[in-house]
Amino acid sequence: MATLQEKKNAVIEDFSMYDEWLDKYEYLIELGKNLAPYPEEKRTDDYLIKGCQSRVWLNWRMEDGRLWFAADSDAIITKGIISLLIGVYSGETPSDIAADDFGFIESIGLKENLSPTRANGLASMIARLKEAARENMEVLTADDAREIAPLYSNVVLALKQVYDPEIPVNIYDLGLIYDLQIGKDRVARIRMTFTAPNCPMADEVMMDVKNNVEDVPGIKGCEIELVFEPAWDKSMLSDAAKIELGMEDE
Amino acid sequence: MTQSDIRALFPALAQQVYGKRLVYLDNAATAQKPAGVIDKYTELSRFYTANAHRAVHYLSGKATEAYEGARDAVAAYIGAGSREEVIFTSGTTASINLVAFSFGEAFIREGDEIIVTETEHHSNIVPWQMLCERKKAVLKVWKLDEDGFLSMDNLARKITDKTRFVAVTHISNVLGMVNPVKDVVDFCHSWNVPVLIDGAQGIVHERVDVQALDCDFYAFSGHKIYAATGTGVLYGKKKWLDAMPPYMGGGEMIGTVRFSGTTYAPLPGKFEAGTQNLTGVPTLVPALEFLKEALENKEVVEEQARIREYLLDWFATRKDIHLFGVPRRTSDKINLYSFTVEGAHHEDLALILDKMGVAVRSGQMCAEPLMDHFGVTGMLRASFAPYNTLEEAEYLTKCLDKAINMVR
Repeated sequence: MATLQEKKNAVIEDFSMYDEWLDKYEYLIELGKNLAPYPEEKRTDDYLIKGCQSRVWLNWRMEDGRLWFAADSDAIITKGIISLLIGVYSGETPSDIAADDFGFIESIGLKENLSPTRANGLASMIARLKEAARENMEVLTADDAREIAPLYSNVVLALKQVYDPEIPVNIYDLGLIYDLQIGKDRVARIRMTFTAPNCPMADEVMMDVKNNVEDVPGIKGCEIELVFEPAWDKSMLSDAAKIELGMEDE
Repeated sequence: MTQSDIRALFPALAQQVYGKRLVYLDNAATAQKPAGVIDKYTELSRFYTANAHRAVHYLSGKATEAYEGARDAVAAYIGAGSREEVIFTSGTTASINLVAFSFGEAFIREGDEIIVTETEHHSNIVPWQMLCERKKAVLKVWKLDEDGFLSMDNLARKITDKTRFVAVTHISNVLGMVNPVKDVVDFCHSWNVPVLIDGAQGIVHERVDVQALDCDFYAFSGHKIYAATGTGVLYGKKKWLDAMPPYMGGGEMIGTVRFSGTTYAPLPGKFEAGTQNLTGVPTLVPALEFLKEALENKEVVEEQARIREYLLDWFATRKDIHLFGVPRRTSDKINLYSFTVEGAHHEDLALILDKMGVAVRSGQMCAEPLMDHFGVTGMLRASFAPYNTLEEAEYLTKCLDKAINMVR
């Protein structure tokens, strides 16, 4: 499955293929026309996004800790815009969506090329996506936190047992782990990278990560997302790793 | 002047947008400004920035002259009985609010009735609603008949002994149809009911003579008749204006001010509290000169007729496009076309036309009750001015076809 960044990059690349905004509209219209049908029973005022001149409906469901969106609009360009948004953000975790800056929208110049009312509409759509994300973010009770907190240090210990066979430093101190979250469901969600995109040992290392983490008592599962954005560099090494590798502090 | 001479007076029309030539068809919202208006505005800003009426110095004299000169010009153009009957405001909205407040204060009581039409712009609905709320009066709506016309029969059914005021638009900003305002005035006067005419679109398209019309109030904006934005006029019969209390208090509108009580200035100052739009109002003079030329110029009149004939024909052939406001006689309609397209959202089309260089309006056009009447969420509107050409009308239909094909 494509990562959030990969999905954004694909949109940016698609948009860059067209010089003229008329052609970009045509691209949005195609997106709108190809959007999956919206559930009829959800086409009510409760699902309307307020602040759009044309009508936009948004609905979502949570599945395996990820948000999946469905949307529709009576205007086709608006439909294309919401299709673009939910295409990127469907399948992401609520916390990732809530934390995202939606900056890729700026980088394709969409906002500046819409009429002010549409631009407001776009802002309303983004706000609604974020609202949906926040609503679905897990609320940890004090008891949950007390139970989950110790799991973090145990998972880190487990990660420190995993080595890239060619480097004498464990993957945690190498700085390959970008993000670790343990949810109420006791599933550890890890976002990680490799020192280079074509690492031949990647599959084997990821299998080690999964097995080691799932062996931690109390952990019910481990999901790994492999990303290369941001790209790994030496500054991500821990101090211990720098000493191990004989690197001077700069 | 030839049509192209007239076009050349408008520097804005020579520009390109998105690398394409600008085809400006949103004139019913705001018209472009001719060089004479821009020059007047610049001249006043450069040399004659001072307060009018108040000081004895040279610049103040010049500013007063320009401002009061505009009052004479407007009074002469619309045939007012006297210059005191011309009140400057910030636009049609402000003019109507002034009447709704001041006339309402003086003459509207609980249980009185006010009639507006279903085709009104929000600015000729909401001020009356506010008045009715304030005074516990009743707002009644003169509805369109099945054919989409304001028939006198329907007005006759609404008017009663309790009717104290009727507000009606001269030309609807959505339908572009000329309403029978002279008949309305005569009929209402036979019931002793005064009439306000919203002339925001009306004055643009025909020569208005307020005394011949015999209306009690006539309101219009500067920015739709090529003058500076933020200017407007309220014409009112002296007998009403004298009997109405001031709308706003402040400088210039007073006789003497004492904490024990204040007396008000005579007309027109009574209704012009505070420093007025001294840079904008004088641009009404060159604007009205242009308007007169545009309405009388043979080439322009003929080109406008060709545009109307071409577009009415074009709309008639398109089964997939619904034109709102189809006239019985072509002369009843101005060059303003509001329409919807089957299977294409008005906003999409406007957005695509924009990128083709064509400026049109989309949405409810400040006339939600009328949108409800027709059961639509919005429309697309192309409105023409004397500088627009048949070629531009043809370009519009060509671009529309392209845009429709894109979204369907």
